[in-house]
Amino acid sequence: MSASPALTNKQDVCVHIQNVSHSFGVEGQPKHVRALLDTTMDIHRGELLALIGPSGCGKSTLLNVIGGILNPTTGTASVNGKSVDGPMPHDIAYVFQENALFPWNTIIENIRLGMLFQGVPKADHEGRAREALQAVGLSEFADHYPAQLSGGMRQRAALARALSLDTPVVLMDEPFGALDEQTRMVLGEDLSALLSRTGKTIIFVTHSLGEAVFLADRIAVFTARPGRIKEVIPVEEPHPRKASFMTSDKFNGLRNRLFDLLHDEIRKTVSLTSGSSGGF
Amino acid sequence: MKSRSTIKGLMKRHPRLSQLVIVALCLVMWEVAARFFVDKMFLSPPSRVYGEIGRVLGTKGLTQALTLTLYEVSVAFVMAVAIGMIVGLSVGLNDFARRCFMPIILLLYGIPQIVILPLFILGLGIGPPSKIAFGVTHGIFPIILAIVAGVQGLKPVLLISARSMGASRWHILRYVVLPHMLPSFFSGMRLGMTGVLLGVLLAELYVSTAGIGYFTGLFTQNFDPTRLLGLISILAALAIALNEFMRMVERRFSRWRGND
Amino acid sequence: MSAPVKATLSADQHERRLSRLVQLGFVASLALLWYLATNVWGMSPLLLPKPQNAFEELLDILRSGEFWPDLLLTLGELAGAFAISMTLGLAIGFMVSLSPVFVRIFEPLLAGVYAVPIILFLPLYVLFFGLGASSKIALGATISFFPIVLNTIAGFISVDKLYVTAAKSMGASPTVLLRHVLIPGALPIILSGLRMGFTVALLSIIGSETIASLSGLGHRIVNLAESLEIARMFAYIVFVIAIAATLNSMVSRLEASRSLDK
Ligand SMILES: Nc1ncnc2c1ncn2[C@@H]1O[C@H](COP(=O)(O)OP(=O)(O)OP(=O)(O)O)[C@@H](O)[C@H]1O
Ligand SMILES: [Mg+2]
Repeated sequence: MSASPALTNKQDVCVHIQNVSHSFGVEGQPKHVRALLDTTMDIHRGELLALIGPSGCGKSTLLNVIGGILNPTTGTASVNGKSVDGPMPHDIAYVFQENALFPWNTIIENIRLGMLFQGVPKADHEGRAREALQAVGLSEFADHYPAQLSGGMRQRAALARALSLDTPVVLMDEPFGALDEQTRMVLGEDLSALLSRTGKTIIFVTHSLGEAVFLADRIAVFTARPGRIKEVIPVEEPHPRKASFMTSDKFNGLRNRLFDLLHDEIRKTVSLTSGSSGGF
Repeated sequence: MKSRSTIKGLMKRHPRLSQLVIVALCLVMWEVAARFFVDKMFLSPPSRVYGEIGRVLGTKGLTQALTLTLYEVSVAFVMAVAIGMIVGLSVGLNDFARRCFMPIILLLYGIPQIVILPLFILGLGIGPPSKIAFGVTHGIFPIILAIVAGVQGLKPVLLISARSMGASRWHILRYVVLPHMLPSFFSGMRLGMTGVLLGVLLAELYVSTAGIGYFTGLFTQNFDPTRLLGLISILAALAIALNEFMRMVERRFSRWRGND
Repeated sequence: MSAPVKATLSADQHERRLSRLVQLGFVASLALLWYLATNVWGMSPLLLPKPQNAFEELLDILRSGEFWPDLLLTLGELAGAFAISMTLGLAIGFMVSLSPVFVRIFEPLLAGVYAVPIILFLPLYVLFFGLGASSKIALGATISFFPIVLNTIAGFISVDKLYVTAAKSMGASPTVLLRHVLIPGALPIILSGLRMGFTVALLSIIGSETIASLSGLGHRIVNLAESLEIARMFAYIVFVIAIAATLNSMVSRLEASRSLDK
């Protein structure tokens, strides 16, 4: 079932997004921002979808809609056939863009707390927490406080917390943002392997073209704000992917394609901001 | 130059010891001053004060006055914490309430409350109630401010993330809001304790017909610095002990903040 | 550009106006309660005077100018106490801050003493200095010394070592370093220490006038309380609170403006 999810699971839709638009603030008011425009998308079970697009285009907004944190202005999202109208802790785990570890708890306490919130029986906490820490390579730091870890380690800890919840869907907002390119790729390899084992559905936001190509089954490229999906690029390559994929012509071809698509959009945002002087 | 740097080196290596030495030096200076330079009517040496602590405590009615003061401080503290928590939470948790009432609270905190002390005494008499009330009004403001500050600083993403993992209201209160508030809560409690002590002692000193104020008045009028200093030392030791205790509790609950 | 800014301001102003309204309502209802309690529900004027009586007394006090001697005495004591504590606090704080070793040793000692309610020493000060102004000045200076010295230390050690190193590497002399790096960096914290010192100095001076004194504003209030002239006492309380609030806000404003300069 892991061989090629994009092909085998065509009909098995896990996350369904229908005409979702979102605006912040009140129409006509100066703080009104249209963050997301009429987005429709199906994500299949076991698929890894990457969202990529210019800063501020609405990627986090889309994840928040799917995660039930934000009610979209119009449109609906559904996960596993259930329409989303609030957090669904048993279906979705969310790794936030910001550091969302509880600073007053050690790393392992953070992971256990997540399971406590979700309702996992106490007896399972320790074992699953250790396992998740192992998976992200933080076993030795179980008893450190977040403040004692580096930015990248904190992100890995947050990832471990999400994995320990063992949900079918994981949303990740730039999970490797604070990592160096090399660690990012190694973790990406691990994630790819993990994915092929567990069959999780993963939607993740990234700014790294290489990471998107290396990890994703499909890549949704967003336009500049208000964000819309400009194009969805399939990466037909079975998981787990090897490091050698990164040097292949296919990889480079896809990467360059992404770059071309994004380049125009990013130009737009940058000139947009300088044109409207102080839109931020 | 050489000797100076070695002294500094010693101080660097033994900060605790140097502190003790400094305190000891101060005591020696006090001793010398009291023995050779200042009139016995005004100052007595620490050795004598220490030696006669027993006699101070033996003064008729003084232990009762001390116990009563301690009782007043405890009651006032509990009340200040309870009321301060309620006010702090209800003002701090609501944006608009904070906007409306924080300026008023800050204004009240800024006025020298001592000017209304006579009113407290007129209204509540010279017994414990007036002193407790005065302690409460002094202790309550730092507690309110600390709670408001504590509630405010919580990062929204922590609440959202807890909710996304399925945390119930109780979970959020117990595992997110409470631990976030604890450090400022305890520093508020410590400042509140300082305030309560100040209020109670001010009222005690003001009422010169009973309690601590009676004895300080008595010892002052009798030019008996030994007993006066003894009484003051006992009270000061009490205050330091209470404060150190609160600091210990505070440190215990803010461990996670350290190391960065 | 200008239109949106204006619009946001007005939304903000709306909030502000509403909260002002609630504040006014709160104060007005307190005043109303006071009026009702004394005029309608018949609360004893020995506990709470009628607001109109207190107001008349206040007018009388202001008109007659009888407050001047007390006010000047209290303000004089305040000035004396603050001058002493500021000089000593700044000087000692600066010297302690010069070496991390000194900071490690003296800061906890000073903070420890600060934890003692220094008002306890008032009887001792009265024994030494008598009931006159000098005991008030001494006590006010002692009490306000601590926040000033502690904040001076905190201010100087808060200046990022990086700036100091950078300035030194550019060849700054010690005076230049002090003038252009250390003082500007430490100023906000020092100023807030001075403000705290000022507030507690005022508090302790009025406090000691209340507890053991022959004159001054605090003593005047006690006198009136003892002779049960409650309405006039209230008027004096309002007067003193107004003076204190004015002084405090003046000092706060000074602090804010100086901190913003940087
Ligand atoms: N809470 C909010 N209130 C008002 N506007 C918001 C809010 N959150 C986001 N926005 C606006 O919505 C737009 C999209 O935000 P979003 O966080 O989804 O961007 P993003 O694509 O995740 O960007 P980045 O890559 O920088 O994280 C932004 O332009 C931002 O100004
Ligand atoms: Mg984002």
